[in-house]
Amino acid sequence: MGLPELLAVLLVVAVCALLMVGYPVAFTLGGAALAIAVLGDAVGAMRFSLLGALPPRVFGVMTNEVLLAIPLFVLMGVMLERSRIAEDLLEAMGRLFGTLTGGLAISVTLVGVLLAAAKGVVGATVVTMGLITLPAMIRHGYNPRLAAGTVAATATLAQIMPPATVLVLLGDQLNIAYQAAQLAQGKFAPDQVSVSDLFAGAIVPALTLVALYLAFQIAVAVLRPAACPAIPPAADAIGGAALARRLIEVLVAPVGLIVVVLGSILGGLATPTEAAGVGAFGAILLTARKVAAKKSAPALGAAVAVIAVLVLRAFVDLRVGRAGGGVATTAAIALAVVLLGVAAYGTVAAVVAIGRAGVLAPVLATTTNVTAMIFAILIGATMFSLVFRGLGGDDMVQHALANLPGGTGGAILTVMIAMFLLGFVMDAFEIIFVVVPIVAPALLTMPGVDPIWLGVMMAVNLQTSYLHPPLGPTLFYLRGVAPPQIKTLDIYVGVIPFVLIQFALLAALWFWPGLASALPHALAGH
Amino acid sequence: MPSARLAAVAALIERLVATIGRSVMWCLLAMVALQVTVVLMRYVFGLGSIWLSEAIVYAHGTLFMSAAAWTLQQGAHVRVDVFYADASPRVRALIDLAGAVFLLLPFVIVLAWVSIPYVARSWAILERSPEASGLPLVFLLKTMIPAFAVLLCLQGIAQAIRALLVLAGRAPGEAGH
Repeated sequence: MGLPELLAVLLVVAVCALLMVGYPVAFTLGGAALAIAVLGDAVGAMRFSLLGALPPRVFGVMTNEVLLAIPLFVLMGVMLERSRIAEDLLEAMGRLFGTLTGGLAISVTLVGVLLAAAKGVVGATVVTMGLITLPAMIRHGYNPRLAAGTVAATATLAQIMPPATVLVLLGDQLNIAYQAAQLAQGKFAPDQVSVSDLFAGAIVPALTLVALYLAFQIAVAVLRPAACPAIPPAADAIGGAALARRLIEVLVAPVGLIVVVLGSILGGLATPTEAAGVGAFGAILLTARKVAAKKSAPALGAAVAVIAVLVLRAFVDLRVGRAGGGVATTAAIALAVVLLGVAAYGTVAAVVAIGRAGVLAPVLATTTNVTAMIFAILIGATMFSLVFRGLGGDDMVQHALANLPGGTGGAILTVMIAMFLLGFVMDAFEIIFVVVPIVAPALLTMPGVDPIWLGVMMAVNLQTSYLHPPLGPTLFYLRGVAPPQIKTLDIYVGVIPFVLIQFALLAALWFWPGLASALPHALAGH
Repeated sequence: MPSARLAAVAALIERLVATIGRSVMWCLLAMVALQVTVVLMRYVFGLGSIWLSEAIVYAHGTLFMSAAAWTLQQGAHVRVDVFYADASPRVRALIDLAGAVFLLLPFVIVLAWVSIPYVARSWAILERSPEASGLPLVFLLKTMIPAFAVLLCLQGIAQAIRALLVLAGRAPGEAGH
């Protein structure tokens, strides 16, 4: 090992040690890398002028069109959270299933799946779910361990349930690595792997997890009914048609929104960024209906107008400037323009209503802070990668991975274990920005490694690590919001069955890669 | 009293940084409006606009580059919590002071320094979009890089002052500042 490689190792060690201290990750990465660069220049291991490449890299981050989806998805999630849709959903689901043994746990899981799909940021989901659902389950005599395990496991679904923020960032980094790997192998028309592919790849494993969680809860209800008693019907119990109407009322909007967003991405109709924009738009209209119930007409009008335009487009070709359009086409185009004018007016009114309700500014502030946090880490990680590569660190990692015993399988297993351990202390974001660019090009040059499969493995692996006692971050979040009846030990013991389910899924993915790769390849096939 | 003067400097910086952050957060609404417009134009009318697509990129870049310093002020940049979460206010202040002086400030100062020639080259030719019908404002977008660095540098100074005041026993410790 030469001097540059030694410094590359020192950089990794220094970053790990400094991160533990607790200064914000983004600037720890940048500052530590700078210190090593100064040292490397002094001893002749690298040239400081290499840092001249930093501004164009940062500009590349700023103009990356895939990452535009991030603030839009975050906005959609924060907006839906403030509109208290989670509370409504849980209440309605509780009425539907609560009177069955184990029914409340099942309701919590189903609501969690919807929330996870809508929000995509784990910490936020755990806090919301914990605050709303834990007290309800405890009050009705649920076993604290079952209650805590259910909430923790369900909340981590936000990590892998499309359109998860983690999958967008992972898809972008994997694509860059995949291009590099193919170029290194002399393939000058490289294949792409897109965020949409990763979404498609993650759906089947994510839904499998949900099915396994539900199966476990049903098994508990059958074998130990005392752990999850049925709730006596409420005094204001509604039945039959009234319950169905209430359920449709609260379910249709969020489910419809998620189906439109995911469906348009998976169906190849829209890029994730476009779908995220539409999702955020829909969330704004939904929130306006909720927070300004008396003045919900504009939001409703805007939604109806947009849907009307889409219906019109399904019957008439509205493309402007096409030869051969008759008077009817012109009239239809004019009608569409008028409808979109109505939609624009309704949207502005909806935004004003949300603002008057005092919801808009906090939502925008939270979204802005989350976005700036993610991109600051990306900029810090850019600095880290620049120095690490300048010192030849990536070649070193590539050699090390290629020479591991066990070939491709051994290399992937090593990377997975390393990511799992890192997941105890680092956020998924940091691991994706720092670790994936270093290891993924090496793994993807190995024969037979499918980038989509690799991405889904990484995502599920990180999710498991997030949940694993004693250090999984989810457990800390949950401890922070859990009622006093739930002890830390209850949380640790309660998640064990769910962690075992996670490991079972990882094993299944390992032996049947088709679980992740079949759907995206089938969708790409036609 | 020097500590009062230092506190006033920190407060001034924080006001500036927060004002900028609270102004650029409206870029989010612009992004949604522009993105939905682009989708409808393409999907319904078969029209594309590079100008509009690039405007989304500009709004996005402006948003997170100008708001990063405000996010630091809000304590919203993610930290590894293993040690920091349970530390006393004095230890936290020490971490923040050392972090700002030895990690943040050197990094953003070097970033500002290396971005000057890069941005100057862009200004010299008033760089336009590589697309003929794109926005002719690439030089302004690139200017966000030194702006990001300068704002973070200012907020880092404010953070260091706040930490110093806590260590000197002149202010209550508070996470995130």
